[in-house]
Amino acid sequence: MTFKKKLIEHLLSLILITSLLGTFLYFTIENKNIQNTQKNERIEPYLGLSFIDFDNPFDRALLLDVLNTYKPGQQSAHESLIKTIEQYRKTNLIEGMEEAYRKEQLSSKKWQQLSMMYAKFILIYIFVMILTYYGVQTFGILRFIRKQQNRKSHLLSFFQQLVTKPKYKRFKDYLNYYLQTILHLLKSIVIALAYFILFAPAYVIAYSLKTQLNTNTIFFMIILAVISNGLLITYTNKFYTFLVTESRKGYVQTAIVKNLNMSYKRTQKSAINYASIFNVRKHFPMHVFQHIYINARYQYLQTIKEQASFLISGLIIIEMALNIQGHFSYELLKQLLYKNYDIVTVIILGIFYIVKLTEIFTDWLTYKESIKYENVEPVGAK
Amino acid sequence: MRNVLLKIKQYSIYIYSQKDKFWLIVWLGILAITFIWNILFLNKPALRLIIDGFLNTLYISILVVIFSFILGWIIGLVVVRFESSPFQLPYFLLTFVLNLIRSIPQIVGILIGYIGITYLITANIVNNAWLIMTTMALVISLFIFNEVIDLIRERINHFKKLDFYNAMKVCGISENRIINFDILWKNSRIHILNKLIAIFGSAIFLQCTIDFIVSVGLSTQVSAVSLPTTLGSLLAKIDSKQDILAIGNTLMNPSYFSHIFFEHLQGVTVAFLIVFTLLSVYKISNGFSERNRL
Repeated sequence: MTFKKKLIEHLLSLILITSLLGTFLYFTIENKNIQNTQKNERIEPYLGLSFIDFDNPFDRALLLDVLNTYKPGQQSAHESLIKTIEQYRKTNLIEGMEEAYRKEQLSSKKWQQLSMMYAKFILIYIFVMILTYYGVQTFGILRFIRKQQNRKSHLLSFFQQLVTKPKYKRFKDYLNYYLQTILHLLKSIVIALAYFILFAPAYVIAYSLKTQLNTNTIFFMIILAVISNGLLITYTNKFYTFLVTESRKGYVQTAIVKNLNMSYKRTQKSAINYASIFNVRKHFPMHVFQHIYINARYQYLQTIKEQASFLISGLIIIEMALNIQGHFSYELLKQLLYKNYDIVTVIILGIFYIVKLTEIFTDWLTYKESIKYENVEPVGAK
Repeated sequence: MRNVLLKIKQYSIYIYSQKDKFWLIVWLGILAITFIWNILFLNKPALRLIIDGFLNTLYISILVVIFSFILGWIIGLVVVRFESSPFQLPYFLLTFVLNLIRSIPQIVGILIGYIGITYLITANIVNNAWLIMTTMALVISLFIFNEVIDLIRERINHFKKLDFYNAMKVCGISENRIINFDILWKNSRIHILNKLIAIFGSAIFLQCTIDFIVSVGLSTQVSAVSLPTTLGSLLAKIDSKQDILAIGNTLMNPSYFSHIFFEHLQGVTVAFLIVFTLLSVYKISNGFSERNRL
């Protein structure tokens, strides 16, 4: 599917969802208004009489007399009307007190609040997206290079060194040997802990740190969104799989036969060093890995849509589960509970727009890359 | 004795080389150890709750896998059929709807689904715990099954490009048989199984998360509807939360570490079961694809 077709599909879904939710929003607001007016229709004209104090029994009796005089023969109906007014005022007062903080309307003040929350949500989303984009590629490359270097796991090395009986002459060598063994154990513990953190749902990490840190800050949210919920590890694994698949392809074998550098030993002069791995613009000159990386990155670009949806889910989880008040997703949960469906609709629409815009951006990015590598004709070219 | 030890060593090496089986054993082994530890040190009612929560979570997640598989397979085949038909409108409409579902963040979709479930419960339409859990599984699978569809479409399209597809058609074999039996069953079942393992992990994560959010999302409000106990809802209980807070306390006060496994066992066990299961499923899925070179 060309970019143009994809763009049309995205725009169509944007229009469709906006009109669907817009219609729903219209009917929800209308329904709210109708309910309010229906409730008051019978008693509304009397409630507006400013000269009558309904708290005063004399005023109530006066109103009853007036009604009986003007509309004779309906005494019981008038008595029931006065009772209804009393009842309404009582319930209204209690409900008003109870629901003053619950029932909210889409007023201009609410729009303003929602816009601020939305802007904050987008800002956090962009930061997390950039950080995960970098993290996924960096850790994916690190894992791939470790695999190419045939490095054993630290736990396995620990057990092997523990079982093997070394034969050294000097005590210092023995000490070095066992220190290395302990180091392997420590490293494996650190890795296991890191795995636990990477797979832990955000609320588990946040609650375990709640007594030590202020978990409601934006900075903490960004860090949590990057490392928790399995986001980073899942997409790192995906990127790693792309690297492995690419490395098995024929062009890599051809490049190796043609004597392109294929050594994964990490030295200062080698193309595969920490500086190139951790660099934002990753570049491995004259090394076969450069081509593996470029092709894997191209495939990874196509999964960003999926990653964006996962990331947004993660952010929503963090805000909802940690009760971070004043944030967009917490507001969604709150309004769902208070049944303010007009506000819920607006929030869902906002989230949908972010996902769709990310999808359009990703498709555009993939299309740009396709032009470079697959000789796809640019839009509008004849 | 020496022979037995040697055999154990050889078997261990064999199992270690097959990472999926290795991690399955590790997962089950650690679960068993955790269970024994809890029998020894956790009070009976809390233990009962944890067992119920864990089994309910597993039940829902397995159902999510089954529903996603069935929905994904059927709708995947329908999409493929529409794709090759000369009349493209149904194909366009179906993919449009599927893409729309994809654009809704899973957690939002499931949360809205849960509102439907609470309505069904309060209206007394669904009142049996098993039926509630099945409905929960169905809601979750609605936002996951797209992954199975993608895989099925990718596999069918890949094989359609090869000669054997046309050769079989020329031999008079029906297209249904080629797709369902030769492509999907004979040549793709490992891929599908790998996807289902990953879906199992996602289902556990989503289900625990949504239950946690529903139970704890608004601390000032108590949910009027009681949903079946799961690991997520157990973690949201106040005593579990206090247990989790104790982990943080250990960071500043390391001497408290030993208390965690005795005095804060309920919350720590629930959190551990969630995280360790997610980690193990990830490792099993990775090992499986590595062993089968997927």
